[in-house]
Amino acid sequence: MNTVAMPSVHYLVILPEIILTVAAVGLLIASSLVPGRLRSSVGTGVTVIASACVVVDCVFQWVDISRHGPSTTMAHVIIEDGFSVVAISVLAVSLGLSALVADGWLCRERIEGVELHVLVLASAAGAIMMAQANDLVVIFLGLEIMSIGLYVLAAFDRRSARSGEAAMKYFLLGGFSSAIFVYGIALVYGATGTTQLGQLAGFLSANVLRSQGLLLAGTALLLVGFAFKVAAVPFHVWSPDVYEGSPTPIVGFMAAIVKVGAFAAVLRVLASGLFTQQDGWRPMVFALAALSMLVGAGMATVQRNVKRMLAYSSISHAGFVLLALWAASPRGTAAALYYLATYALLVVGSFAVVTVVSADGHEDLTSYRGLARRRPLLACSFTVLLVAQAGVPFTTGFLAKLGVIESAVEHLGWPGVALGVIAMVATAVSGYFYLRVVVLTYAAPLDASPAAATASTLATSRPRARLAALGSGILVEDTRDGELVDHAEVYGAAPANGETAVPLATAVAIAVCVVPTVVLGVWAGPLVELTTRATMLFHP
Amino acid sequence: MAIVDQYLPILGMLVLGALFASASFVASSVLAPHRKPTESKLAPYECGIVPELESPPRFPVRFYLVAMIFVIFDIEIVFLYPFAVEFKALGGFGVVEIGLFSVVVFATLLFLVAEGALSWGPVKRLTKAMPSRTSDSTIARITPRPTDRAA
Repeated sequence: MNTVAMPSVHYLVILPEIILTVAAVGLLIASSLVPGRLRSSVGTGVTVIASACVVVDCVFQWVDISRHGPSTTMAHVIIEDGFSVVAISVLAVSLGLSALVADGWLCRERIEGVELHVLVLASAAGAIMMAQANDLVVIFLGLEIMSIGLYVLAAFDRRSARSGEAAMKYFLLGGFSSAIFVYGIALVYGATGTTQLGQLAGFLSANVLRSQGLLLAGTALLLVGFAFKVAAVPFHVWSPDVYEGSPTPIVGFMAAIVKVGAFAAVLRVLASGLFTQQDGWRPMVFALAALSMLVGAGMATVQRNVKRMLAYSSISHAGFVLLALWAASPRGTAAALYYLATYALLVVGSFAVVTVVSADGHEDLTSYRGLARRRPLLACSFTVLLVAQAGVPFTTGFLAKLGVIESAVEHLGWPGVALGVIAMVATAVSGYFYLRVVVLTYAAPLDASPAAATASTLATSRPRARLAALGSGILVEDTRDGELVDHAEVYGAAPANGETAVPLATAVAIAVCVVPTVVLGVWAGPLVELTTRATMLFHP
Repeated sequence: MAIVDQYLPILGMLVLGALFASASFVASSVLAPHRKPTESKLAPYECGIVPELESPPRFPVRFYLVAMIFVIFDIEIVFLYPFAVEFKALGGFGVVEIGLFSVVVFATLLFLVAEGALSWGPVKRLTKAMPSRTSDSTIARITPRPTDRAA
């Protein structure tokens, strides 16, 4: 009788996945057994509590790591280090905030049930698995758990054909990229005889491969798989369409979770497992980073749809994180982690604002004209979020961009400087399209200006002109009334004056995104220190 | 060389499979009678009014649902079978793990039942937002009562 040797399990480390999975399955069982349909607010409550529990678990893990140093568990396939803990807490915070944003959306669209929350919880569990995986196969498992939930979430708005189209595109291209990724794993395994990152690094530092071809091809395919997930140019084509079609609160979640999870995994694979193969993968990352920054920023300037614009902007952000990956230094890893932490908040917050403002389905940039008069606080929040994404000083976005550019320029020689210059150019270009929206937000509303002009003409002009002006004034009033009728018809829940109502949960989420962006941008110490310390605790 | 030997049976199976498939096609083309059917033979009905159009086919699209539901049980078996073979070696830890796995799988089944995905019969509607649904009715749905059959 042979007994299978069971690996020891450090439950504190895998508690985040356990919490989220138990919450998801529990919600599923509860929704099947209660009379009628479980209210979606129950789902939101459970999701927020679960993500709070994960954050608390992260604190305990941090204490554990500070005492005993980074470690691995479950036959070395799961890792516990400072980097993974910070990444997990960022993921958990994004999950909680997205659930709050989705709550308002579900109420507005009158979608009952907790399916959205079950899927969101499962996806986040997959992303967390990626963040702490130390084995290519476990990374793949996490990637699939995360993606399968997201494919369904992209199609969640069943009344919208665009949502279905987005889900189909995402599903087909995502499945394709997963297949490429698995093939990459197979080739790396073929070249080195292991899929575990620690053993991989050990093997590659102890042996010299006679021919690099197999490992290089494997690395390239792994990078392609990751680049698809994080939407790096030239593997980005799906992202604007999917972002445009999917329900807006889901897009914020998707953008935050996928980027943080996939970048955490790719940083670990390249900077830890394949560290000795830098000469092989750094040129590829160079090309991905340069193209993503330039194409992302360039294409964002010509977008009319706010969701497409934010999609291209997030492609550009992916380029900046790749810049830090290219640096392949502890400083680069810290910069990437800082960038991801700030980016997750910014993107969730931005899409939360879009969820509220584009409630009527108008995602055109012109619908943001005059937002500051209708909703001063909302406009102010949006301004902060966009300005931070542009990288303006006294926001976290500035420090994030500064960090990644510094880490790249640290490498003396032309590639680092070239990437630094490209990043500067991309930042300058992105300033244009972010500020364009900000200016539009504070511009006078289009329909108000003719009315104002009419009023002033009425006061000063002769009777005949006055009559004409009066006529035009009536016309203006008519069109406005027409618009209002439309609003009222389509969205019974919206207040009759056509203003966008901000649900309390969404308002809380936006506030949680905006306040740290400013506070940590001015009082920079804590987060920078945290990410640097987290990287010092990076498992070798 | 040892690795190639190890995978030789798989190659053999592939060749056998390809041979069998092509042999069936060849055999049917050789052995089948080569009479060309007349036009009336090809018509849906050999007597009566000649149809002008293809009649629209009607079939329930529940097969995909069945296929998806099947995957749940399929995956469970995929994991249960090796567990059963290595039951003693895996010990108590294995029992707990497979128990947890079964709970998750049965939760999905429970969800399907509650959503009405397994309610076959004349009423082809998912019972969404059914206010009269209780935990009793979800459980009772598995064993049809006489009243259900009547409806």
